[in-house]
Amino acid sequence: MLEIVSELLLLAVASGFIGAMSGLGGGVFIVPALVIIAHMPMKIAVGASLISVVATSAGASVAFVRDGWTNLKVAMVLECATVTGAVTGAYLAGIVPTVVLELLFAAMMLQSAYFNVRKQGDDIIEHGDELARRLELAGDFPGDDGKNVHYEVVNVYGGGLLMVVAGLMSGLLGIGSGALKVMAMDYFMHIPLKVSSATSNFMLGVTAGAGALVFLARGDVATSIAAPVALGVTAGALGGSRLLPHANVSSLRNVFTVILILIALEMGWRALTRM
Amino acid sequence: MPASDEDRILRFWTPILLRSILVAASIILVLGLVLSASYTPDYYVGRYYAVRAGHLHARESFARMFVGAAQGQPHSVMTIGLFVLTLVPLARVAFCFLLFLRERDYAYVGFTAYVLAGLVLGVMLGKIG
Repeated sequence: MLEIVSELLLLAVASGFIGAMSGLGGGVFIVPALVIIAHMPMKIAVGASLISVVATSAGASVAFVRDGWTNLKVAMVLECATVTGAVTGAYLAGIVPTVVLELLFAAMMLQSAYFNVRKQGDDIIEHGDELARRLELAGDFPGDDGKNVHYEVVNVYGGGLLMVVAGLMSGLLGIGSGALKVMAMDYFMHIPLKVSSATSNFMLGVTAGAGALVFLARGDVATSIAAPVALGVTAGALGGSRLLPHANVSSLRNVFTVILILIALEMGWRALTRM
Repeated sequence: MPASDEDRILRFWTPILLRSILVAASIILVLGLVLSASYTPDYYVGRYYAVRAGHLHARESFARMFVGAAQGQPHSVMTIGLFVLTLVPLARVAFCFLLFLRERDYAYVGFTAYVLAGLVLGVMLGKIG
C-alpha cells in the first residue's frame, strides 16, 4: 500500500507544484499524470482532479483575496455562468465517451499553451457598457506608483458565454479552466490581466466544487485515489506558490508550453488510437 | 458596499473559516488513509487495482455513508472528508450571500443565491444521474 500511496503522492505533489509555478493550476497536470503514468481511467482522473482543484483553491485563494486584486462582483456574476457550465459538464461526463473527453482535453491543453505564450498586457478602458455599469462591475487596483488605477468593464454577455464553456470544460475534464477564464475576462471584458488572474483564482474553487459535488454524489470519485491526490496536489501547490516569487517565470514559460503541447499530443494520440 | 464590511468579512473571517475547513478535511482524509492501511489486509491495494480496472464503489446514500464511517469503513470516512472539502467553496459563496444581503444589494443576493442553488443542484443531479 505504502508504495502505491507514495507514487500517487509524488505525482500529485509534482502536478500541484508545476500547476502553481505555471499559474495553470494542478488539474491540468494531475489528469494526464493519472491517465498516462498511473494508467487510471479518464473518469477516475477527472473526479480526483476536481477534488484537488477545490483543495488547492481553498489554500491559495486566501492570499489572493487579501491583496486587493480580486473583483468580487465580477467573480459573482461570472460564477453564475461557470457553475451552470460545470454542473452540466460534470453531469455529461457520466455519459460522454472517453474518446471525446481525451480529444477535448487535448484541445484545452493547446488553448492553455497558446494562452501561455500570448499573455497580453493591460488594456484599460475608461467607459464601461450599460450592463457593466448597472452591475457596478468597475473596480480599482493598486498601481505601481501606489495610486489606485481605475478600470471599467464591457461585454458581460460575451465573457459570460465563454465562462459557461470554461465551466463545462471544468466539469467534463476536471481542470480549473483558468486559462479560458482569464482569457474571457482579459480579451472579452477588458479587465486588467492581474485582476483577471486573481478573480479567476477566486472563482476556481466554486467552479470545480460544483463539478466535484456532482461526481461525489454520483459515487464517481474513487476515494482511495482522490484522498492522497488531493493532499499531494495541495502540498505541491503550496510549495510552488512559495517558490514562485523567487523563480524566473519567463524562462520557465517555454518549458511549460512544451509540456502542455506534449500532453495535448499524447491525449490526442490516445483518442485517435481508440477510434 | 462600505469597504470596511467587505474587508472584515473577506480579509478576516473568510480565511479563518476556509483554513479551518481545509485542515478538518485533510485530517479526515489522512484518517481514512490510515484506516485503509489497518482495515483488512490488502484493502487499499485491492481497491486501487479495482479502480484502475474501472470498478468503483457503488453509490451510497448519505445515511449509509455516516453509518459506514461510524463503523470505521475507510471509503465512507474518506467520502466524508471529500464532502467537507467541497464545503470550502460553498462556505465562501454563503459568506458573499450574507454580505450582499446585509448591504441590501438584491441583484447580487440573486446572483449568489443562484450559485448556491447550482451547487445544491449539483448534488441532486449526481444522486439521480
